[in-house]
Amino acid sequence: MPAATEQVSRYLQRFNATLTREEGEPAWLRERRERAMERFLTLGIPTTRDEEYKYTDLSALVDGKRRFDAPADSVAPAVPDYALTGGPRTEAGAAPPAFEASGTVEPGVRVFRLAEALRQEPDLIAQHFGAIAPIEDHALSAANTAFFEDAAVVVADPGVTASQPVHLVFGSGSAARNPRVLVVAGRNSALQVVETYVGAGTYWRNAVTEIRAEENARVDHYRASIESPDAYHTGLLQATQERDSHVGTFSLSFGGAVVRNDIRTRLNGSGCECSLDGLYTAGQGQHVDHHTAIDHAMPHCNSHQLYKGVLDGNAKGVFNGKIFVRRDAQKTDAVQSNKNLLLSDEAEVNTKPQLEIDANDVRCTHGATIGQLDATSAFYLRSRGISADQARNILTYAFAADALARIRLEPLREYFEALLLARFAPQED
Amino acid sequence: MLEIRNLHVSVDGQEILRGIDLDVRAGSVHAIMGPNGSGKSTLASVLAGRDGYEITAGTVTYGGRDLLEMDPEIRAREGLFLAFQYPVEVPGVTTMYFLREALNAIRKHRGQDELSAGDFLRLARERSQPLGMDPDMLKRAVNEGFSGGEKKRSEIFQMSMLEPSLGLLDETDSGLDIDALKIVADGVNALRSPERAFVVITHYQRLLDYIVPDYVHVLVAGRIVRSGDKFLALELEKRGFGWIDEFAGQEAAVGV
Ligand SMILES: Nc1ncnc2c1ncn2[C@@H]1O[C@H](COP(=O)(O)OP(=O)(O)O)[C@@H](O)[C@H]1O
Ligand SMILES: [Mg+2]
Repeated sequence: MPAATEQVSRYLQRFNATLTREEGEPAWLRERRERAMERFLTLGIPTTRDEEYKYTDLSALVDGKRRFDAPADSVAPAVPDYALTGGPRTEAGAAPPAFEASGTVEPGVRVFRLAEALRQEPDLIAQHFGAIAPIEDHALSAANTAFFEDAAVVVADPGVTASQPVHLVFGSGSAARNPRVLVVAGRNSALQVVETYVGAGTYWRNAVTEIRAEENARVDHYRASIESPDAYHTGLLQATQERDSHVGTFSLSFGGAVVRNDIRTRLNGSGCECSLDGLYTAGQGQHVDHHTAIDHAMPHCNSHQLYKGVLDGNAKGVFNGKIFVRRDAQKTDAVQSNKNLLLSDEAEVNTKPQLEIDANDVRCTHGATIGQLDATSAFYLRSRGISADQARNILTYAFAADALARIRLEPLREYFEALLLARFAPQED
Repeated sequence: MLEIRNLHVSVDGQEILRGIDLDVRAGSVHAIMGPNGSGKSTLASVLAGRDGYEITAGTVTYGGRDLLEMDPEIRAREGLFLAFQYPVEVPGVTTMYFLREALNAIRKHRGQDELSAGDFLRLARERSQPLGMDPDMLKRAVNEGFSGGEKKRSEIFQMSMLEPSLGLLDETDSGLDIDALKIVADGVNALRSPERAFVVITHYQRLLDYIVPDYVHVLVAGRIVRSGDKFLALELEKRGFGWIDEFAGQEAAVGV
């Protein structure tokens, strides 16, 4: 297959260029890259023949303008103004850098570019970087590990409670196509991290985030994706949690032609809690897919998932929620819910819980709904003078309200509340 | 204000209203009574503009304009208000937000300025207080988890906030105890004025002791079979539904 050969040679060329560029990186990191490259070449871009990608067609990533090394459109995306204070962030400009990050944000909370992190915390980075996100069976994670140009490393020292969120903004320049983040929350620390992805033009972004929560740490992570309507966004967030830790992730997906996010956590100690929540929206021509996985490896852990989707036009939504409860994970309490609102007759959703339970003393519940706006409610609102558009607007907002309420960062919540309202209803005449 | 002429309405091909004629003048209160299934709510729904009804004949004029041509929200903005027999729960939307949107839409339509949050709140307190409503109710989702009585009270509260020209009350009294009934009736009476009219649909004469109607109509099987003054309601109460059934029987016998 000449086409395939051509692709492979392109990948190899790019990989060699990456190795040359990153000549100074430590041997262990180089080995991780090389192994990742091997795996990526073996696995290739997933196809719809793969059960995990049955509903999400990524064939456009093989060639064309969304190819992994296609040049970036030189259009500057608008960066949302959450007015999050404190954390490092980029400013909107001609070519936003991958992210801006520098040193100590506040006592005990540090944000580095990878090179600096390697200088200051070589052991910590060697221990976790590329060791949390799987590459053996995850082609896209492997691709990111092989090709990433830079990484943001966020460290909360043991016992430190960060007073402000760390905000990482990724534009769509070439350096931000394989963005990579490592968050290490030390023992008894507490930290909030917001990743914002914005872009303009046609591109593919393949993002990997690794989170390590040490004993009794708390990490609240928000992934705000406002990609260009022509962009493909694929991503893996993998967390690992030590005992009594608490990890919350919230995925906000408000853009992109095709979005595929894998959000996973592994509960490695007893007494852990996690919440994997999300709100996704898609309109005409958009496809958004979330695959979550919670690995209950130890007893007495709770997991909570609430994913809500609002789909309009001919949009397609996919949700797959895996819960593994291993033999030792007695007293697991796992709740999963995925609810979808279809605003048009052409919109579609495939939703599937996937529970594998090997312990016997557990409570696992799951539920999925796909519904339309309630005509009776809409009539009730209209009978009071509210326009049909506004009624739809209000009811859409109401549908998403309990998911939005789970965003603990107020400016972020308010921003997306407004975005949701603006997106799904024309303003009152 | 409202003129209904020969109104025929079908649902799923079945004729429910079979020729209604009714004139409601400003300042008047009409009561419509009738057995279950006679078409009272159908009439109210058609007037409010609900989907799913086929108007096969007749006209409805409201303020000199064709009511049936208007969208439901336009009817509301033009001053028509329906207190629902079964008020709808709207989870995730607070009563406060909902009513403010509604009131401002109506005010805008009338060329008035929108009310600020503060002014709205003051008005809401003023109007909810006589209805004995918990002010916290404003912060709760619309009708969610309300008892039957609370829902009915909330309908009257909404009506008093929106100040309609024509209030339609669909069995607002059903299921209320006498105290709640008096509160609801006081709420309506407080709104009575020479510019306003009410159509009060009820199953029980009892309500009409408190909201005294100018006219009483008896609706049976989709037709107004008899109209009179408040004494008709008393007679109806005394003679019971059997008497109404006789009407229905006569109708059938006459074959009209
Ligand atoms: N949406 C509907 N679909 C089918 N039948 C209906 C519908 N609404 C009303 N009906 C029928 O129309 C008749 C009148 O109902 P309704 O107007 O609710 O009566 P009332 O309010 O006087 O009790 C009943 O026979 C009822 O079953
Ligand atoms: Mg009824």
